[in-house]
Amino acid sequence: MTSLTKNAVEIHHLVKRFGQVTAVDDVSLSVADGEFLTFLGSSGSGKTSTLFIVAGFEDPTSGSVEIDGRSVLSVPPNERNIGMVFQRYTLFPNMSVRDNIAFPLSVRGRPQNEIDRAVAEMLDMVRLGSYAGRRPSELSGGQQQRVALARALVYRPRLLLMDEPLAALDKRLREDIQQEIRRIHRELGVTILYVTHDQEEALRMSDRIAVFSHGKIAQIGSGSDLYERPANGFVASFVGNSNMLRGRLRGVSERMASVELADGTVLHGLSDANLIHGTQVEIMVRPERLIPSSSRAGDLTSLQSVEGTVIDVSYLGEAVQYEIATRWQQNIVVRNDSRASGLELGASAHFSFHVHDALVFPTQPSAS
Amino acid sequence: MILTLNRMGRGRFVLYAIAGATSAFLLLPVVFIAFLSFGSSQWLQFPPPGWTLKWYEVLFADPRWLASMLVSLKVGLCVMALSIALGLPAAFAIVRGRFPGRAALHAFFISPMIVPVIILAIALYALILKLGLNGSFLAFVAAHLILALPFSVICIVNSLEGFDISVEKAAIICGATRLQAIRRVTLPAIRLGILSGALFSFLVSWDEVVLSIFMASPGTQTLPVKMWTTLRQDLTPVIAAVSTLLIVMTIAVMLVAAFLRRRIAR
Repeated sequence: MTSLTKNAVEIHHLVKRFGQVTAVDDVSLSVADGEFLTFLGSSGSGKTSTLFIVAGFEDPTSGSVEIDGRSVLSVPPNERNIGMVFQRYTLFPNMSVRDNIAFPLSVRGRPQNEIDRAVAEMLDMVRLGSYAGRRPSELSGGQQQRVALARALVYRPRLLLMDEPLAALDKRLREDIQQEIRRIHRELGVTILYVTHDQEEALRMSDRIAVFSHGKIAQIGSGSDLYERPANGFVASFVGNSNMLRGRLRGVSERMASVELADGTVLHGLSDANLIHGTQVEIMVRPERLIPSSSRAGDLTSLQSVEGTVIDVSYLGEAVQYEIATRWQQNIVVRNDSRASGLELGASAHFSFHVHDALVFPTQPSAS
Repeated sequence: MILTLNRMGRGRFVLYAIAGATSAFLLLPVVFIAFLSFGSSQWLQFPPPGWTLKWYEVLFADPRWLASMLVSLKVGLCVMALSIALGLPAAFAIVRGRFPGRAALHAFFISPMIVPVIILAIALYALILKLGLNGSFLAFVAAHLILALPFSVICIVNSLEGFDISVEKAAIICGATRLQAIRRVTLPAIRLGILSGALFSFLVSWDEVVLSIFMASPGTQTLPVKMWTTLRQDLTPVIAAVSTLLIVMTIAVMLVAAFLRRRIAR
């Protein structure tokens, strides 16, 4: 993103309360023109409420939503020029596939020949040309969502909203349609706001991801930003797998924190947060960054290791996952290329990792 | 273990017998009255000593029978239309509304089904008399509408509850106004419920007798009232002929309903 790119959507200090519950708690973000931005979070994190406010189905308690620099809060949803694909199947049951896709143009009073042309184009785009005459009830779930996508795009909306559109589909089909959505995004260059609770889906599809937690944005950034440089323990554990080793802070110098684990082992990791000496902290290490070795790696200053016993081995095809019991009574997970390592059940080994692959965060108030 | 017909062995013949007896119990009066309407006996003798169409001739020759039939038909159609016109917005309020007392309102709309009809009749009679409306078309329609409304409310509430509001939201975000979305998407989706409500409303009015007796005047009578008053004077087989026609009419309505239902469900 350059500073020249104009923003399609600007959200400022958005708050939404339902009675006592604050569903959206001071959310601000901007979406660049043509960007694919995903709201990632568990249910009740505020991601869907934020999306519904952008769509116009909910009014915010306070804050603003601007599309192309103009506030849309007083604009009814049908005049916002937004396309939307819902989690549930929302094709009009009494209309054929063709009439479903034609509906947005038909309510806009476009001439019939223009409608026919646009519908044919959209049917082509979602590769359902031969299904034009079918009823929604005669389509599979994946086909229905593709028609819903065509219907949401046929009028060239300024913005496309997608509220967990693939949640009801099985994994294989989901991946196919993810690809298809990516392709359509590339071809049309439409700005997309996508909501999901599936971090893999978010990583695969998005230009940027906003991680939602308790109505707030915990972090917003590209997939690799979130994975390599999570801003806090929540993002670290929510995006990707991670080991969170609990310990007490012994000291920090130049972003390098030393942490003492329960058994006296001292490990080092990077930290951006303001850590207080002596408090409970967590060291995050990704399972694939732990490399098994037969001996301690203590000689190199940047490499450190932990010791443990293999208590479970799972073969996952491209990788092998080990569960390791450590001396400080906390199991950790190690994942390696399945060809590289051959540790057996009950084997004792050292697992080394780079200090830059270890990040130190304050312990979360409600660690899950 | 699942009890299937095949696993029951000979026991299933007991089931057949019970099913047969139940059907006979339900059908016998209908078949019986149809037989009698073609019997030649003046005294509704069974089995009939001979066969005749005489009673149908008498029926169609009497303008009072035809007049009451016409009244019934008109009242029925009016009740049907009003029942939907009032039941549809009521159902939307019950299903979509977010206001205190919603459940109570729902129960209230259903209550004419539970309140004894005779009590409704007496109360309504007093009111209609006071307004000087007895014997009027309006009185019949108003009285029947009270009984018909719960049927359209129940039918439409049920289908509206089964309709995902996200579909309507999808229509709105596609550019339709709320009214357009309801007219082009929601109403077609719940039309089966509307149709059922309409048919039930018509049938409720068509064979209603208790309220109608109170509303009727010698000048204006619905078909069931005419039957009732005729019956009180003498037991003529014309009654059997009228009853048969009523039954045929009801069966016809049900067949049309079944046909439409199949077309809609397709």
